[in-house]
Amino acid sequence: MKTIIYTCPYVPAEWIAAHGLRASRLLLDHVDSASMFIRTEGVCPFVRSFISEVMKNKGAGGVVATTVCDQMRRAFDVLVRKSNLPAFLMNVPNTWQSLAAQKLYIDELKRLSRFLSRLGGKSPSNNTLAKIMLEYDAARGSILTAREYLSARQYAEAIAAFGRNGPDQTINRITGTEPQTDGVRLAMIGGPLMKQDFDLFDLIEQSGGRIVLDATETGERGLCVPFDHRRLRDEPLMELADAYFGGIRDASRRPNSELYKWLQRELASRDVQGIIFRRYLWCDIWHAELRRLKDFSNLPVLDIDTAGDNDIEQQRTVNRIRAFLEMLQ
Amino acid sequence: MSDIPKRITLQEWDLRYEQLEKAGTYEPDYGGPLSRHVEDGDQRLLKLRYDNSAAALRLWNFLLTEEDRLHQARAAGRKIVGTMKDLGTVPVMAYCFENIVAFYPDGAWWIPCVMELGAGLLEIADSLGIDESFCPVRAMLGAFVTGAHFPIPDMLVCSVGATCDDFSAIAQRLNGLGHPIFWWEIPHRRRPEPDETAVNLPGGFSAPKCQVEFVKSQLERIKTTLEGLAGEKLDERKLSAGIKKANQVRRYLTELRHLAFTAERCPLPALEMLIAEMLAIHFCSDRQETINVLKELLDEVTSRVRAGKGILDADAARIFWVNPVADLQVMNLLEDCGGRICGTEYLFTHALDIIPEDLPPLEALAQMALADPMAGSSIDRAERICGDIRLFGAEAVLISRIPGASHCALEGLVISEIVRDKFDIPVLEIEVPPVTDSMRPTVHTRLEALVETVKARRQK
Repeated sequence: MKTIIYTCPYVPAEWIAAHGLRASRLLLDHVDSASMFIRTEGVCPFVRSFISEVMKNKGAGGVVATTVCDQMRRAFDVLVRKSNLPAFLMNVPNTWQSLAAQKLYIDELKRLSRFLSRLGGKSPSNNTLAKIMLEYDAARGSILTAREYLSARQYAEAIAAFGRNGPDQTINRITGTEPQTDGVRLAMIGGPLMKQDFDLFDLIEQSGGRIVLDATETGERGLCVPFDHRRLRDEPLMELADAYFGGIRDASRRPNSELYKWLQRELASRDVQGIIFRRYLWCDIWHAELRRLKDFSNLPVLDIDTAGDNDIEQQRTVNRIRAFLEMLQ
Repeated sequence: MSDIPKRITLQEWDLRYEQLEKAGTYEPDYGGPLSRHVEDGDQRLLKLRYDNSAAALRLWNFLLTEEDRLHQARAAGRKIVGTMKDLGTVPVMAYCFENIVAFYPDGAWWIPCVMELGAGLLEIADSLGIDESFCPVRAMLGAFVTGAHFPIPDMLVCSVGATCDDFSAIAQRLNGLGHPIFWWEIPHRRRPEPDETAVNLPGGFSAPKCQVEFVKSQLERIKTTLEGLAGEKLDERKLSAGIKKANQVRRYLTELRHLAFTAERCPLPALEMLIAEMLAIHFCSDRQETINVLKELLDEVTSRVRAGKGILDADAARIFWVNPVADLQVMNLLEDCGGRICGTEYLFTHALDIIPEDLPPLEALAQMALADPMAGSSIDRAERICGDIRLFGAEAVLISRIPGASHCALEGLVISEIVRDKFDIPVLEIEVPPVTDSMRPTVHTRLEALVETVKARRQK
């Protein structure tokens, strides 16, 4: 079975899996951001890592990138020139309030279907798609339910494993039994995390804090909303599109008011006491939200930026997080 | 009075102005000596070199009085629309309404240069969390906060989707500050797949028909909103007439570019050519006057070319310039180093291409919007640049990076590789901040090296 790799949360894994292919959402490695493949000046470390990972990946049968951010859109240009891996650029609209934008997203899923078919996939029947959607929905539900019983790192790893491997192994891996209650209640907000960033969860716990809301792209915020099971059986593709395109709140949306509505609700319901804002240098989309988030949330916000060089930044990050938590305790 | 074309300083323009005035040269109501604009804080003007023609004087005065025109429009009860990011599409539609004036607040990105950072706009952007890691277009935020550089528009329209992240993020920040924005989607232009109907766009790109239809639906939304603002219906006849007017501007610019880039001796400096091209975007808030200004400029250039006159030596290195510069003085610098412009791609070639007049007008506009070089891949953009290199006979390519701009980080790599593969000509990248004074020696050295390389290659 061919593996299709991607990183963007707006790519529905169910759609790829329903074509008989393996969907694998990459958890990128900071080390790759320093790769010799491309220049580093001005390029977001996540994009650098993505390009490097795709170019060295020997196991994938295809890659899907999206237009959600401009640098990723440009990264696709580099990939089609430098890599032999079949690549697909999915147009994900930034606007979301019009029917035309929603239709564009659905049309792109259909175009993705043709790409997947060219790679050996088979366009799914409604029943096949619905069955796979139910499997993914159940797995996602089990992860969300387990949140209270997992450390922030375990929770993030469970989401990452689900993205990488699909639903098969997800439920068995979740083994927490005791609710986690200690520590200053924090939210982590931002774009996608990379593998080494999961150490931040440990660091925060060691410093007396606890992430109760992982609102990063690789965390809970990057999961689509639960499916409407009745509609799923009648119109699975429409339901899939609604759950992803309509259900994932991102800073790239124009306007991105839905992100703030979601944050307002989640920050309040989880009694969050402070925010750790994680962003990459040169990521304009998230960087521009920092000041607005401070104004909006009325909570202490710690800005942790990264240029991709974890070794140099590590001590600075440790000190800043410790100081932040000392202030909040 | 000497009519020898040359580049002169602002001080020299004062003398020249007196001569032109005595000679009874026609001036429009916004005319006057250029140096008066320095009193408004436009300090950079003191350091630029200008073409010495009356046509160039009119061009500069037209550019530097736009703020006055916008205030006059407001005082006259006309609605002001701030069109953002699409660089050329929505204004074609907006200027079809009797009582709407459209302009690009994006143009504020040149204020830090022209006022040599004196306006404090970048500091205001900093204070709003938009620091120097963003493109200098962040100055727009400061301009909205101070309200000192243009009247706050009655309506803001912004394209998003296949645009740069900087602008999209800054526009969202502006929205968060309480300025409502009408967002419309421009999808990433892609090549048609085998089973799709292909549409050939102005400028030579192609796109699937479904994308043209989608953009048309977006423009329909804008049209309806503008109609509401103007209290006036925009029918096909009026829109077609507006397209014809826009095409008049584009035809003049096509001729001007051809003459300026291909004449044996360069007939018009790079700086004036840049400004002339910019007029196509939103007509500097007066469409008819844009046509008049360009006509006079074209007449001047035509007569110079016929007479074999120019402002530079005939052996100037022929450079193709990619991306607009944040510091206008760098255009002078290229010429100081012995180069001349022979081809440009300032991010808005779609505003220079002729809009089809044999199609339903909204469809024609949709095609034009999709032809935006930034809406498609860097590979497409490079192919277009290659076509123009061939057309204008450029001997080297200069890619000027815009500090912090999301597209500049990777596109230069793609464009330079493709250009080198096709032409085996030198490609140089430089980064140009709003004021280059502190790095002028570096930029100068790099431009000189490019020019010398071009000239050395001629000997082989």
